[in-house]
Amino acid sequence: MRFSRWTLLWLALGIAIIAGVMIGTMRLSLADLVHGVIGVGEPMPIAVVRTLRLPRVLLAALVGAGLGAAGAALQGATRNRLAEPYLLGISGGAAVGAVLATALHTPIALVPVAGFVGALVAVALTLLVARASGGRGDARVVLMAGVVVGAFANSVIMVALANADASAVRGALWWMMGSVAEASWTQVRVLAIFVAIGIGALIAFGRAIDVLALGDDTAAGLGIDVARVTLGVYVVGALLAAGTVSAAGLVGFVGLLVPHLVRLAGARTHRAIIGAAALAGASLVVCADLIARVAMPPAELPLGAVTALIGVPFFLALLRRLA
Amino acid sequence: MFFIRRKERLSSRLHRANRIRLVAVCSLVIASACAREAAPKQSAITDDFGDTLVIGASPKRIVTLIPTTTEILYAIGAGPRVVGRTMYDVSPKEVLAVQDVGNGMRPNVEAILSTHPDLVVLYASTENRDAAHRLRASGVATAAYRTDHISDMARVTRVFGRLIGDTAAAERTVDSALATVDRVRKQTATLPHPKVFWPLWESPLLSVGGGSFLDELLVIAGAQNIFSELPQPSPQVTFEELLHRDPDLILTGEVTRARLLLDPRWRTLRAVQADRILVVDSTIMKGPSARIGASAVLLARLLHPGVKF
Amino acid sequence: MIAFREVVVRYRGSAQLALDSVSLDAVRARITAVVGPNGSGKSTLVRALVGSIPLVSGSIAVDGESMDGSTRRQRATRIAIVTQREEPAFPLTVLEYVSLGRYPHLGVWRSPTKVDRDAVARAFELTETQPFERRAITELSGGEWQRVRLARAVAQGGDAIVLDEPTTFLDVGHEMAIFELLSRLAAEGQAVLLVSHQLNLVARFASNMILLKGGRVEAAGEPAAVMQGNILERVYDWPLVVTRDPAVGAPTLVPLRVRPRSARVE
Repeated sequence: MRFSRWTLLWLALGIAIIAGVMIGTMRLSLADLVHGVIGVGEPMPIAVVRTLRLPRVLLAALVGAGLGAAGAALQGATRNRLAEPYLLGISGGAAVGAVLATALHTPIALVPVAGFVGALVAVALTLLVARASGGRGDARVVLMAGVVVGAFANSVIMVALANADASAVRGALWWMMGSVAEASWTQVRVLAIFVAIGIGALIAFGRAIDVLALGDDTAAGLGIDVARVTLGVYVVGALLAAGTVSAAGLVGFVGLLVPHLVRLAGARTHRAIIGAAALAGASLVVCADLIARVAMPPAELPLGAVTALIGVPFFLALLRRLA
Repeated sequence: MFFIRRKERLSSRLHRANRIRLVAVCSLVIASACAREAAPKQSAITDDFGDTLVIGASPKRIVTLIPTTTEILYAIGAGPRVVGRTMYDVSPKEVLAVQDVGNGMRPNVEAILSTHPDLVVLYASTENRDAAHRLRASGVATAAYRTDHISDMARVTRVFGRLIGDTAAAERTVDSALATVDRVRKQTATLPHPKVFWPLWESPLLSVGGGSFLDELLVIAGAQNIFSELPQPSPQVTFEELLHRDPDLILTGEVTRARLLLDPRWRTLRAVQADRILVVDSTIMKGPSARIGASAVLLARLLHPGVKF
Repeated sequence: MIAFREVVVRYRGSAQLALDSVSLDAVRARITAVVGPNGSGKSTLVRALVGSIPLVSGSIAVDGESMDGSTRRQRATRIAIVTQREEPAFPLTVLEYVSLGRYPHLGVWRSPTKVDRDAVARAFELTETQPFERRAITELSGGEWQRVRLARAVAQGGDAIVLDEPTTFLDVGHEMAIFELLSRLAAEGQAVLLVSHQLNLVARFASNMILLKGGRVEAAGEPAAVMQGNILERVYDWPLVVTRDPAVGAPTLVPLRVRPRSARVE
């Protein structure tokens, strides 16, 4: 991708972040923002900027970056443009973890951890099921194993919710619809490290994914250990997705859509696609969070709902283009 | 139902001696004369679903599927008649000995029927319509009530009083509760009303709203719910809106209070910084039962320390 | 350069051997062709060479070194494989695609150097695909795509190129062009190992032919020796004759028509 397009991506992200911090129930000016960041002036805007808006906007950006990159890498590795980061049963597994934690009334801080653990268990199960079916290297077998594990997870969730009290159900549903409303600096820091390492690893895999995307036989002929590289991409992608899920619940469509958009804009090699998808995904989720906050005051829309609402028309347009 | 059965028996013996017939009629008269019950033999009541039901004799085996109505029944002395309760009923303590029939919403009809009730009381929401239907089809009198407001409490208590034939006990209960409520309301009328935020759940952030009896309690106890204008009982609100409305006090449980004091987001609130978080006993949050008076006093004391209620 | 010695391969779950004691040599500067009916093991041979399928017994050596001793990437720097089908999922440019041929040398980390750029340039030159450089691989015609694939294989910079049915979907003009290209590559010193159905063309271009049936080598040697009527008839199970083509003088296979319900041949 040409240099100017990268600049555009970074610029878009910057604008999105600034807008995200400035706009909300209380309108802040640019001056407020600056004061808030450096810590001078009225305590109220500083508190709003530092404790409420910045953490959630940054968390949203990290979630979007992680999902965009993971989606791009998985689409390349599976040679399937409909692949997305929640593929390997991740959404189901994370939801099971979080729902069980909510329904059992565990301390609130444990819910994200439970979600993460649930996601990892689901991925491990998916890969086990795929291997038992004889095709861990075959993308279709892994995809189907993911569907199976996801379906199983859904049934567990239904059982858990059937026996839970009303507030637990509401809490569980809210988590599953995705939100960065409770973002804290600790979360931002942890996710930042996670996402940095994850995206770095995926970009490093970039050239290998390009070769992998040529086809398993051709890739093998070019010296790629197809099974190992594919597994590596799955695991890193899954970890990234699991990390975002534990921070913000289920935020759909980002990992599916952003790689398409980035490829349409001209990114061809996977190093470029993954990097651009990370930036574009970050901007998208920051904007979605902004919409979630201002669309229906005084309530907040779930983040996952907004990304889906944005995603569907985009996707329809894409389908028409492809057809 | 009792009547109908007796008539059939009489008609089958029509051909027998008049003497037996006379004895039968006499027993009936004596029985009714001996009855302590001053209640009419048949009660026609309209419940909150709009259904009218006729209840023959005063119900002896009541299944109550709302914790509020459970407490009311015990308060008016109908405790011994309760044969079924929900899994969430924990007060009064005597109710724990009663059979647990599971969830109160979308209840397990078979479990209820296994207690052989003659009256089932459940919450009047659309999800319970089906259960109410099926219970009635099984021949059990079923009444659905909304127990969201203090006025509901008075109404329901009086209905129960009629049903068990002890309207006096019902009136006593209602009067005592409402009298206490009025007294507290008058006392707090002259006191300053702090702005209060009462979160019911953190994730999503749910507040006590105008549609909840807790909002009524707050008004009685002399406080102003900052989200009172929202009509739902537990509306979702954003943190920024909360920050904007800047409550003086926050009401919550002990564990939550400890957590809020340490959370950087909550610490942006003036009330948290000054530790103006009052710990509320969660049992008063169940619903407007006979203890509403005591709850009002409790809350008033919490909100206005130093004032005698 | 590539030597198969008594290679035995069996697919999982199959009772039959896919390759049964197959031995062959593909030497530099020559075109070696593997022919045979469907299911004779031709593609299995290529897969065994790539390492996609393990050997039951026997060995495959590249330039004297056994395949077991080297990593996939090392092998990929010596042998380039052009598989039967390759459907590009993403629209790379031809230049980017051919440059991927340098992957075995670069891995994920190293940046391309002059050596790599020269190899790519040479590949373009040999396959005469420079005009396509900026086009997307998804927009190429069948013939152009095959040449570009060959360019990628040449860019790998090895001494051997293995092709599995490279002309299946090409018309006669493009087919000839590919064979001429292979001939040119052999002239440059490459060992070209070719799997093909096209007996007649193979007979004209290859210097060594191996005829497989049911995983066994039925005949091997110069085209004239392998293109014998009785051998081919037995292997392909169809009446045919082998003549000498009057135009070019190469052995030519002519399948015969069979009258229905009669074993007699016209």
